[in-house]
Amino acid sequence: MKGVLVDLTKCIGCGSCSVACKLYNDNKWVEDRAETGGPRAQLCDANWTVVRQVKLDKDLNALPLSEKKVDAVSGATDSSNQVWRFVKTQCFHCAEPACVASCFAKALQKDENGATVYYPNSCVGCRYCMLACPFHTPKFEWEKPLPRITKCMFCSGRLKKGESPACVSVCPTNVMKYGDRDELLQEAKQIIAKSSGRYVEHVYGEEEVGGTAWIYISDVPFEQLGFRVMEPKNPNSYPLPRKALPHWTEPYMHWTPILGGIWGVVLAGLYIITRRNKVAAEKNASSQPAANG
Amino acid sequence: MTQNIDVVLSDTKPTLPPLSRRNFLQLAGLAGTAGAAALTGCHGKTAGGTGWMPDQYNDAGTFPVHSRGRVPIDVINPSICRDDRKCILCGQCADVCNNAEAVMGHYELPLINDIPCVHCGQCTLWCPSGAITEVDDTDKVQSAIDNPDLTVIAHTAPSTRIGLGEEFGLPPGTNVEGKQVAALKALGFDTVFDTNFTADLTITEEATELVHRITGEKKAPLPQFTSCCPGWVKFCEYFYADLIANLSSAKSPIGMIGPMIKTYYAEKAKLDPKKIVVVGVMPCTAKKYEAARPEMNSVGRYLKDPSIRDNDVIITTRELARFIKKRNVDWEKLDPKTLYDKLLSAYSGGGAIFGATGGVMEAAVRSAYFYITKQNPPKEFLNMQPIRGLNGVKEDKFKLPVAGKETEVRIAVVTGLANAHVVLDQVREDVKSGTKEPRWHFIEFMACPGGCIAGGGQPKTSLPPSDSVRKARTGAIYSIDERMTLRLCHENPEIVAIYKDFLGEPCSEKSEELLHTTYFDKSNLLVAKKKA
Repeated sequence: MKGVLVDLTKCIGCGSCSVACKLYNDNKWVEDRAETGGPRAQLCDANWTVVRQVKLDKDLNALPLSEKKVDAVSGATDSSNQVWRFVKTQCFHCAEPACVASCFAKALQKDENGATVYYPNSCVGCRYCMLACPFHTPKFEWEKPLPRITKCMFCSGRLKKGESPACVSVCPTNVMKYGDRDELLQEAKQIIAKSSGRYVEHVYGEEEVGGTAWIYISDVPFEQLGFRVMEPKNPNSYPLPRKALPHWTEPYMHWTPILGGIWGVVLAGLYIITRRNKVAAEKNASSQPAANG
Repeated sequence: MTQNIDVVLSDTKPTLPPLSRRNFLQLAGLAGTAGAAALTGCHGKTAGGTGWMPDQYNDAGTFPVHSRGRVPIDVINPSICRDDRKCILCGQCADVCNNAEAVMGHYELPLINDIPCVHCGQCTLWCPSGAITEVDDTDKVQSAIDNPDLTVIAHTAPSTRIGLGEEFGLPPGTNVEGKQVAALKALGFDTVFDTNFTADLTITEEATELVHRITGEKKAPLPQFTSCCPGWVKFCEYFYADLIANLSSAKSPIGMIGPMIKTYYAEKAKLDPKKIVVVGVMPCTAKKYEAARPEMNSVGRYLKDPSIRDNDVIITTRELARFIKKRNVDWEKLDPKTLYDKLLSAYSGGGAIFGATGGVMEAAVRSAYFYITKQNPPKEFLNMQPIRGLNGVKEDKFKLPVAGKETEVRIAVVTGLANAHVVLDQVREDVKSGTKEPRWHFIEFMACPGGCIAGGGQPKTSLPPSDSVRKARTGAIYSIDERMTLRLCHENPEIVAIYKDFLGEPCSEKSEELLHTTYFDKSNLLVAKKKA
C-alpha cells in the first residue's frame, strides 16, 4: 500500500498543494465556498484539499477563531505570543475505509495502490459514505441537479503512472513524502526518535481507525491542531476508534447475503406450498360443480 | 401483380411470434435502460484527474522538482496579494524569492508566527499569469480625492518617471516627468511634490550621519548601512538584527517628505495637517509596508496626535498607470512640460540617481566629501563608474582628509538581497574578530536587483525582468543627473531654505525628531538558516 508522510512542522502555508489539486482535478474556484487557506479553510465539494492555519498560544493550545485587530493601520493582529501551524487536510485514505464498506453501489473502492477512489457513475446518491466517514471527508454537490460525492482521489491516475500525487509534487518545502506506506511509517518513527523530543511521540494514522495511508507527524499535539484523536483531552469530543470501522459492523453485516439467500429459499418454499394447496383446491372445486349440476 | 404478392406473403411462415403490446413495452424498457446506462457511462471511470499540471511535475518517481510551488503570502500582507485562480504553480515566485532575495528557504522550519516577507514585490514582476500583484490602493486615493474637505498631495519617486511611460507604449528608459505631473493633476491631486527633493534631504542627513560616525561624533558602529530601501531594512531586522545599529537612522525619502508636507508645507500653505492626505507614487511595493509601520507617524508624535501618519497611501507605478487609464485621462494630451509644485520639489542630480543601484551611495559620497572637506568634490565624484551598473556587489575606495589626516574611505554597493548575505556575513565576521579598522565605511543595500528602477511596483516587462530593460532605465536616470547643473544634494536651494527656515541643520534635534527613525529586532519572528 502506498502512502504519504506529512511533516506538519515544515508547512509554511503557501497553498501550492490546494492549487495543484484544483489544476489536476479541474476543480473550479467557486466564489462562495470555504477558503482553501487561512484559519477558516475547510474541505467542501470544490476543495478536495485545504491548508488550515491554526493559531496556538505559547502553551500550544488552540486559540479561538475570532481575533481582534490590533493595528488599525496595517490590519495586523497581535501575533507576538502566538505559534502558527498549517494543517494539510484531505482524505486520509484508510486501510479499511468505512465509506467503502458502507457503499452498497460499489461507487467507492480501494484501488491497487491503496487509494480510496470514487466511481461517480455507479453512485446512487445515498450519501451513506458521508455518514460513515469518521473524518467527515466526503462532501456532496448540494447545488447541482445531478450531484455527486466529492473527495480526494489520491490522484489515482498519477499513481498508476508512477507519479506522486499532485499536491505532493508541488510542495516547495517537502512537507509531504510519497512512497511505500510501511517504509514511510518506519521513517516517521526514526524522525521522531532522532528529534530528541521536538516531535509529539505519535504517528497520526498509524493506528487510527485501523491505519491510514496518509500519516502525519507534528510538534504540536494533534488534538490542538483540530485532528480527531483516539484519546481526546477535551471531554466534549468523541474518541476516534482504534479499530477500523468496518470491523464493528462486519460480524453481523456479513450475514446479510446469507440471510438474503435463506429468506429467498423460505419465500420460495412458501410459494410452492401455497401454489400446491391452491391447485388442489381448484381441482376439488372443478369436480364439485359437475356433481351438483 | 398484387395477387402474386399476396400469395407469396401468405405462403411465408412467420419466424417470430407476433409482438404483443406487453412484449414491446418490455423491450423498449430494456433498450431505454441500456441506452441510459451507455449515456451516463456505466463504466469504471473514477472522478478527478481531468485537468493538467505544469510539465515539471509530470514525471514518474518522487524526485523533487527543481522549480516548484510558490511563495507563501499572508492575507494581511500590506504590499502583495495573490489571486489563487490565476496561479499556475510555475514556481518562478519561489525562485526569485529564494535566489535573488534570499528570503524564502533561508529560514528554519517550523515558522513561528509570521510569514517572512520583505515586501520587495519581485514576485509580482516574475509572476507570468498575473496572479501575484500589488495590493491595489487606488480606491483609497479616489475616495480621498472625492472628499472636498481633504487636500490630497502626491509625491513621486525618482524611478516612477522612468517607468510610467512603458505602461503607455513608450520604450524603456523614457523620462515622462512632466506628463506624470500633468496626469496626477488631471486625476485631481491638489498638489504634486517630488520625492527627489527628500532624496536630497535624506542625503544631507545620511551623509552628515556618516561623517559623524567616521569622526566619532556619533557613537555608532561602522560601516554605516543605507536605510532608504524598506525591503532591505526589514531583511536586516529579520536576519541581521545584531547589525541594526549599523543602519543609518535617517528615514527614507518618503519617511521624510510626509512630515515635511504636514509640518513645513502645511504651515506655509495654512493647511490643517489632519486634512492632508499624502499619497506616495512609488516604484516599490515595500513602501506600502514602510508607510504602514507603526512608528512611521513621527509627524503625529510631533503634532501630539499619533493618528496622523507620515504617509497615508502608497501606490505603485503600475497602480498609477491603471488609475490613469481607468479615469480615461488622455495620455497624449498631457503636457510634457508640466512642472512640480514649488517648495518641496527642487532636486539635484544626486537625488535623481537614487533610483539606480549605486545612486544613493554616489550622492551621499558627493555630499560627505563636502561635509568633511568643506569644498565640493572634484569631477571624478560626479561619475563614479565603479559603483554603477548591475553587478551584485560593487566596491570603491577614495582618500579624504578627515580631521587633517588623509583617510581611506571604503564603500560597497549591494543590489539583490541574496548578495547582501555575502557582504553582511563578512561584516558580522569582522565584528566577531574585533577588527578595529572597518572593511567598509558605508554600504548601500537595495532589495531589488538593479535598484528602484527595477522595483517590485514598476511596469512588468518581458519575462523574466530582463537586464536590457534595467540598463535602459538606469541610463535614463543617470542622464537626468548628467544634464543637470545642480548635482550636489546639499546645494539644492529648497534644501538650503528648509534648513534655514525650519530644520536648523542636518541631524539637529528637530530633524532627528522628524527625519530619523528607529528599527526593531525582528529576529524573534524567524530562525535564520545557518550557512553550511
